[in-house]
Amino acid sequence: MSENADSMQTRHFLLRRLHSLTGIVPIGVFLIVHLTTNSTIAWGGLNTRAQSEGFGWMDRAIATFQHEVSFINNMPLLLLIEVTLWSAIGFHSILGVYYAISGKGNTGAYKYSSNFRYALQRITGYFGIFFIFYHVATLRWGWTWLVPGGTQWSHEAASSTFAAAIQGSTDGFTAVGFLVACFYFLGVSALVFHFANGLWTAAITWGITISRPAQKRWGVICAGLGAGLMLMAWASVIGFATLDYEQASAVEKTMHGEQIHLNTDEPTEAVTLTESKEIDG
Amino acid sequence: MADEKRADEKRVIVVGGGLAGLAATIRIAEAGMPVDLFSMVPVKRSHSVCAQGGINACNEVARQQGYSEYQHFDETLIGGDFLNDQHPVLEMTNWAPKIIDLLDRMGVPFNRSNEGFRDLRLFGGSLFKRTHFSGATTGQQLLYALDEQTRRFAAEGKVNKKEFWEFLWPIVEGAGENARCVGIVAQDMRTMQIQSFRADAVVMATGGCGLVFGKSTNSVICTGGAASRCYQAGAWYGNAEMIQVHPTAIPGADKCRLMSESARGEGGRVWVPAKKGDTRKPRDIPENERYYILEERYPKYGNLVPRDIATREIFDVCVNEGMGINGTNQVYLDLTHMDPDYLTEKLGGILDIYEKFVGDDPRFTPMRIFPAVHYSMGGLWTTYTPGEYQPDSPISGFKPGDPIPVGNEPGMGMEVGAHNNAMTNITGLYAFGEVNFAYHGATRLGANALLSCIFDGLCNGVSVVNFVREGGHQPVFELDQAVFDAATKQEQDKHDKLLDSTSSGTGDRKLNPYQIAFELGEEMNAASTVVKTGPRLEKCLSKLDELKERYSKVELGDGAMWTNQSLSFTRAVGDMIIIGEAIAKAGLLREESRGSHYRTDFPERNDDKFWKASVAKFNKDSGKSDIEFVDVKAGLVKLRPRDYGKTESNAAPAQKEPVGAS
Amino acid sequence: MSEAEAYAYDAEMRKANRAKAVAGRSVIFKIKRCDGPNKPSRWESFKVPIEEGANVISSLNWIAANPVTVDGKKTTPVVWESSCLEEVCGACTMLINGRVRQSCSCLINEYAPREGDVMTLEPMSKFPVIRDLWVDRARLFHNLTRIKAWVPIDGTYNMGPGPKESHDHQQMRYALSECMSCGCCLDACPQFTKQEDESKWDSSFIGAHAISQARYFNEHDTGKQLKADRMDALSGAGGINDCGNAQNCVKVCPKGIPLTESIGAIGRSATIHAIKQFFQGKK
Ligand SMILES: Cc1cc2nc3c(=O)[nH]c(=O)nc-3n(C[C@H](O)[C@H](O)[C@H](O)COP(=O)(O)OP(=O)(O)OC[C@H]3O[C@@H](n4cnc5c(N)ncnc54)[C@H](O)[C@@H]3O)c2cc1C
Ligand code: HEM
Ligand code: SF4
Ligand code: SF4
Ligand code: FES
Repeated sequence: MSENADSMQTRHFLLRRLHSLTGIVPIGVFLIVHLTTNSTIAWGGLNTRAQSEGFGWMDRAIATFQHEVSFINNMPLLLLIEVTLWSAIGFHSILGVYYAISGKGNTGAYKYSSNFRYALQRITGYFGIFFIFYHVATLRWGWTWLVPGGTQWSHEAASSTFAAAIQGSTDGFTAVGFLVACFYFLGVSALVFHFANGLWTAAITWGITISRPAQKRWGVICAGLGAGLMLMAWASVIGFATLDYEQASAVEKTMHGEQIHLNTDEPTEAVTLTESKEIDG
Repeated sequence: MADEKRADEKRVIVVGGGLAGLAATIRIAEAGMPVDLFSMVPVKRSHSVCAQGGINACNEVARQQGYSEYQHFDETLIGGDFLNDQHPVLEMTNWAPKIIDLLDRMGVPFNRSNEGFRDLRLFGGSLFKRTHFSGATTGQQLLYALDEQTRRFAAEGKVNKKEFWEFLWPIVEGAGENARCVGIVAQDMRTMQIQSFRADAVVMATGGCGLVFGKSTNSVICTGGAASRCYQAGAWYGNAEMIQVHPTAIPGADKCRLMSESARGEGGRVWVPAKKGDTRKPRDIPENERYYILEERYPKYGNLVPRDIATREIFDVCVNEGMGINGTNQVYLDLTHMDPDYLTEKLGGILDIYEKFVGDDPRFTPMRIFPAVHYSMGGLWTTYTPGEYQPDSPISGFKPGDPIPVGNEPGMGMEVGAHNNAMTNITGLYAFGEVNFAYHGATRLGANALLSCIFDGLCNGVSVVNFVREGGHQPVFELDQAVFDAATKQEQDKHDKLLDSTSSGTGDRKLNPYQIAFELGEEMNAASTVVKTGPRLEKCLSKLDELKERYSKVELGDGAMWTNQSLSFTRAVGDMIIIGEAIAKAGLLREESRGSHYRTDFPERNDDKFWKASVAKFNKDSGKSDIEFVDVKAGLVKLRPRDYGKTESNAAPAQKEPVGAS
Repeated sequence: MSEAEAYAYDAEMRKANRAKAVAGRSVIFKIKRCDGPNKPSRWESFKVPIEEGANVISSLNWIAANPVTVDGKKTTPVVWESSCLEEVCGACTMLINGRVRQSCSCLINEYAPREGDVMTLEPMSKFPVIRDLWVDRARLFHNLTRIKAWVPIDGTYNMGPGPKESHDHQQMRYALSECMSCGCCLDACPQFTKQEDESKWDSSFIGAHAISQARYFNEHDTGKQLKADRMDALSGAGGINDCGNAQNCVKVCPKGIPLTESIGAIGRSATIHAIKQFFQGKK
């Protein structure tokens, strides 16, 4: 074999394994974190530390979420994290598309569940990147012309502006807004499926699960993880889709006006606003 | 790789990529001789994949129990009713353990004992476990191992595989004693291109001829066409009449598939409805209206009578008495009285095969079976040079544990590497494997065929190399091209004539090649398999004349110049009729019963007249065979009666079953 | 539908069909025909009387002897490949009702139990058609060369037995050894695509068949010697990494070869091979 062919071989192997790896770290890990954060809108009411005068369940949730967003925005080396994440997503999706078009689905003839998962892995990949693009473009890059109602998302008013963005207006659902909410619903579902199923195949790719029972057991674990993430994802979307803009806005204003103790470890530190880094949270 | 051929190099052609052909290819290529390997199918799909049971060889355990290579040799001769050539058989059985070792090294997954040694099973014709096996697909595993080694040589450029090429004719120079094979004519089955190929030696390893009998247990390529073409080109054909029929096969619409005898061993009962033409479903027929053929005819052994008897009785009930199920040639092999769970445990594998191909579950529906043609002991006549072991007088009555009269080093039976080993009467034309008539006499023992195929390739492959290197013949690359062009033209003309017949199209069904083949199969099956009689064989011969006459006007259904399968088949049909004629005629002239050849009009073995091989020579003028009987090449073991269990030793049950399991 | 359910569904349906099969019926065979490479395909239908125990091969045989379409048009016998008729040689593989399988073991009763039922026959979809149902599977065999699918023995001379092997290990290898190179696993694989250009074979996906064979030889004590070469071939373009884990292969394999296990095992070997190479440098 020539030198050239040899290095081709190595490169091919590296690319494929990197593709698999990036799907898990950082993208997959980020997905977990991100969904955890976002779903606080549904369960943040549990956070009794996010307490303030007259706060009900939803208020606490809004506050918790806002706090998380702000926390992330305050992270040191955020730029580095962002760059890593973006290059990983770019790498994974460009290669992903390339790999996806190299195959030719045949679920018409072979109706096996694993074959549907194979097809879905590709479809959710395509759909997922489309969704991520929309998600980022509208929220992070401020392409408000893509947002019904034209709301500009702000990390200072994370819940309210996001709710407005996916409801289509600041006072409840518009028809297009409903579509956007549905789009979100499908988008997150697709990504969660893609990740969970990817985790299952990655174990075969790397040779971690070999025997059928092992593949099956790992499949159950991945399905469990997927179900958990799916719940969080759905909770997030439904949470924001049903969020009352005025209420959220009020809580956010309160937060910026008063100092709310959210964290007993840093009792004195108020939520401060930084202009510098933010991510699409 | 074909292009790398050097014009000044001696080459060998191997026709056939079954076990015999591949073993030969490997051995010859290993010796540094370039090989062109021709096969009608990718070699990995050759008929040898079908073999299930196993491969025989003496082994350490059996040896310590008193078994020996010599006894394997002796058993093979008794099995073959002493019609085998004795020296090659001795050499073969001496090589057997070494062949197993070699296959083992090649990676064949032989079944293993708990301790990791090769496992063994008991097979017909022996009291000792001497059959090595790899699951239920031994032939497949062996073929693959050889295929892999061949692929390795092909990757190194030492073997030039020509798959989907059909052998059409051996190119023979000179005549009579001086006839020498210098190449072959072959046709690419896809492009239909016909071409001559030069070779300093040609090895025929083209397998059996089951298709002459219509449906058999053989693969669809086992037409015997290649052997027939050599025969028509002047090679002699030995013991044509010796055809093995397996008692329990599953008749199918396309072929008969083997049903292992273990079904009877586990309690299977053979029966037909007592009333002729009873069309009720088997389970609706009450016990007292069933005719348990074997149990009633042989109260002592019942369903466990020896194979040849079972075969004959089933055949008799159906063909002569017309009592087969619904008038067909089928009887029930019934296991439904047994516990389904027990059956699954004991016979799961074979019952699944039945269900897969028939669609009935034998645990609940009686199986329908009938004997089917399985193996051809006959084949191209070959010769050899005897080895060192040449007793003053043949030894008689060898028993287990007796001192062995001869060692097991190579060269005892045959002189290894002698130029003429396994060579036909045409110099430079060899016959290996099932197409070689030498080893199995009048009946083949189970699990001996695979052995003989590989042995031929490995041992006699050396002869081919020596012959080419030292034979003192003019190298074929120096020969005038005219010889080869003439051969190509001869085949091209035959081919074109067949193609032309497409347009003649009278549409007469009698001239349809498939119809002719069908009638040939029916006739050969009825007249020349299990039970033969003089008058029936004569009738068969005149039927063959009629078929031949019709064939001369055959109409091809496809005039395509590209991948014309009908043409290939139609061409083979002509050759099958010719081999069929030799089979029937040799059977007619052999007025005795011996091994598989059973004549009701001559039920006894007649050693004085017929301890002889039949040798068929094709008469170009009449287009028929001239049959001669020539002495069997014996001299090592004395002739003795072949009655298992009576005179030789105290018969154990295993010995009741002289004929191989598969 | 889960794997087990799909199997059961298939088997149940076929069994049910068998039970309701009508004797003496005729079945329509719709066959995709093609006169040769680069020639257009066409469909022809034949009405075939179904005898007892009929399968696709016996029906094709019948058509060969009676090559007349349902519209009474005389045509040529259909061309197809077959050999053993016992489902051990792999020759007769084709698409039956759109799915790949062996035709010799395909009982008509299980697919077309009623008068006038239609069965479609097409050539395999991932290999170039030679004529009608006959395709050129040279690439499949080429792939075996690609992974050096042999045990590198010293020679055929007598050198004693091969390596000793435990009973369990033999059972494991035996399960892999039954692969008959039929190509079902390739035809059903969404990642294995048709490639007529021979020069691209070495960089196109090799498929489960050869991956599993590589494992088979890696598992033999002598065969192991070529493991590094095999892993080189399988780590590169068209190797193990191109598998997308659709797992169709294992479901259509007529021999029940544990293909997905082989894929996992070779994946592991590839991981280890890469790590080894990284730390030990190139061979
Ligand atoms: C169902 C069954 C089970 C069996 N089980 C056993 C068993 O358990 N043990 C045992 O010892 N024996 C068994 N046998 C017998 C044994 O399998 C065969 O005798 C043996 O495989 C023959 O091998 P071969 O190499 O001579 O030829 P084959 O394997 O028949 O190969 C013939 C080759 O010749 C080629 N060929 C034929 N004609 C042409 C042509 N015109 N041009 C080019 N190429 C041509 C074919 O393509 C093929 O490659 C069994 C047989 C059957 C049918
Ligand atoms: C949030 C985003 C994403 C996550 C978390 C993610 C995660 C994963 C994971 C874990 C795998 C498994 C790798 C393996 O089997 O070894 C995978 C595979 C794959 N991903 Fe993604 N992915 C994401 C986005 C995308 C995008 C945008 C695409 C673009 C189409 C894509 C296409 C693919 C493809 C085609 C595969 C299968 C690769 C193969 O099996 O060969 N993914 N992904
Ligand atoms: S598991 Fe891999 S090889 Fe098998 S069908 Fe899926 S993609 Fe093809
Ligand atoms: S693995 Fe199975 S499907 Fe694939 S070629 Fe082998 S036998 Fe056929
Ligand atoms: S003909 Fe051999 S598998 Fe069908």
